[in-house]
Amino acid sequence: MNIRRQTAILLRRELRSELRAGEVSLVAIPFGAIAMLLVPMAVGTDTPLLVRIGPGIFWSVVLLFGVVVTQRQTADVGGPQLDLLRLLGVDPAARFAATALAGAALLLAFELVVGLVTVVLYDPALDDPIWLAAILPAAAFGLAVVGTLAGNIAAGVGTRVTLAPLLVAPLAIPILLGAAQATEGLRLGESILAWLLLLVITDLVLAAAGVLTARPLEEAAP
Amino acid sequence: MTRLRPLDLAAVGTLLTALATGLVVPPDAVQGDLQRIMYVHVPSAWLAYLSFGITLVASLTYLARRSMRWDRMAAASVEIGLVFTGLALATGMIWGKPVWGVWWTWDARLVLTAVMFFTYLGYLALRRGIDDPARRAGRSAVYGAIAVIQIPIVHFSVVWWRSLHQPPTVLRPDEPQMDAPLLFALLMAVFAFTVVYAALMRRRMDLEVLEQVRATEIEQPVAGAAVAPPRLGGVADV
Repeated sequence: MNIRRQTAILLRRELRSELRAGEVSLVAIPFGAIAMLLVPMAVGTDTPLLVRIGPGIFWSVVLLFGVVVTQRQTADVGGPQLDLLRLLGVDPAARFAATALAGAALLLAFELVVGLVTVVLYDPALDDPIWLAAILPAAAFGLAVVGTLAGNIAAGVGTRVTLAPLLVAPLAIPILLGAAQATEGLRLGESILAWLLLLVITDLVLAAAGVLTARPLEEAAP
Repeated sequence: MTRLRPLDLAAVGTLLTALATGLVVPPDAVQGDLQRIMYVHVPSAWLAYLSFGITLVASLTYLARRSMRWDRMAAASVEIGLVFTGLALATGMIWGKPVWGVWWTWDARLVLTAVMFFTYLGYLALRRGIDDPARRAGRSAVYGAIAVIQIPIVHFSVVWWRSLHQPPTVLRPDEPQMDAPLLFALLMAVFAFTVVYAALMRRRMDLEVLEQVRATEIEQPVAGAAVAPPRLGGVADV
């Protein structure tokens, strides 16, 4: 079985697990929506200010809650499951790709729902919102790759739950910058191509790093 | 008592010379004596880059050769790099208060340097969480290789964004924008700090070896180990 087929099978398994557990749809997404509701209570209800900072708050919430999405319980393959996948000869790169793609799909769903909440609550005025069709998936993919990578690095470590966010947040800075600056560019009616390029390059570099390090990480797994 | 090595003596000697040079050269025309903080700030930032760059090389070499020596080098370099990153941040803040009027400002270079600090703090947290040396080395090597993405972002941040932090003064495509005596003092400080880094690396790696030897040593009997606790007759152990 080639690596593409392995990835497709594992991706379906990941999404089915999430469908059963509802960790993202029933926990992370409502939690993100609550965060968007809470911010005006902390910074004040000055409407022009909220219109201006709305997209920035959205991306901060996506970054911080994206960690919760990528570190969800259903993405943690360990112990007997991992042994079985090894015995079946599943390529570690396929396992990485499947987890990252499932994370990206779930993060995109998270972005869409919380994005709608942001539009309703903050009413951000974006010049050319069609570009969001490129920005949102690119950011979701990048965050998912970083999260999966950090999850693999911290797998089996006693402090995984607290350690993984510490590993993800700094490495996700280029993604946060690219996405937030591109959205700001849309608000100001400026060109966003440079920021989109940063997003795409970061995604590609991280994806390559994830695939290349999948085997060494598998060898160092518990 | 620990014996001083030639490298230790060289580190102390060059550091004292650099300190003297930094105090002797004329003050900056605009900032006066305040500019002398740069003789600590700039070399600290340089050493942060160097340390994390060496972590990258050592991590990749570990992944290729699986020799624990490279793991020790990567870890030691991160520890020292963190100290110097912290020093660069602290001296920058001390300089920023009188010049910019604030300890901290939301400048790209400052924020990204702080992010770099936390990135490598995560590296140490990761190491602390794994007991098995081979597993720890493998995972740390992967993280150490990926985390280096921060360095170009920090360095070029002053070029990519309109920044309050000044753009590169020495490492720039054209000639350095500094008077010769000040540039000499700065380069002297950079050299001294680099020697200090080499001496610290040597010491830290030796310490790592000792720690690993101690961790794998067979447990020695301690005083009182032969004394058995009293038992009540007829009561089974639980």
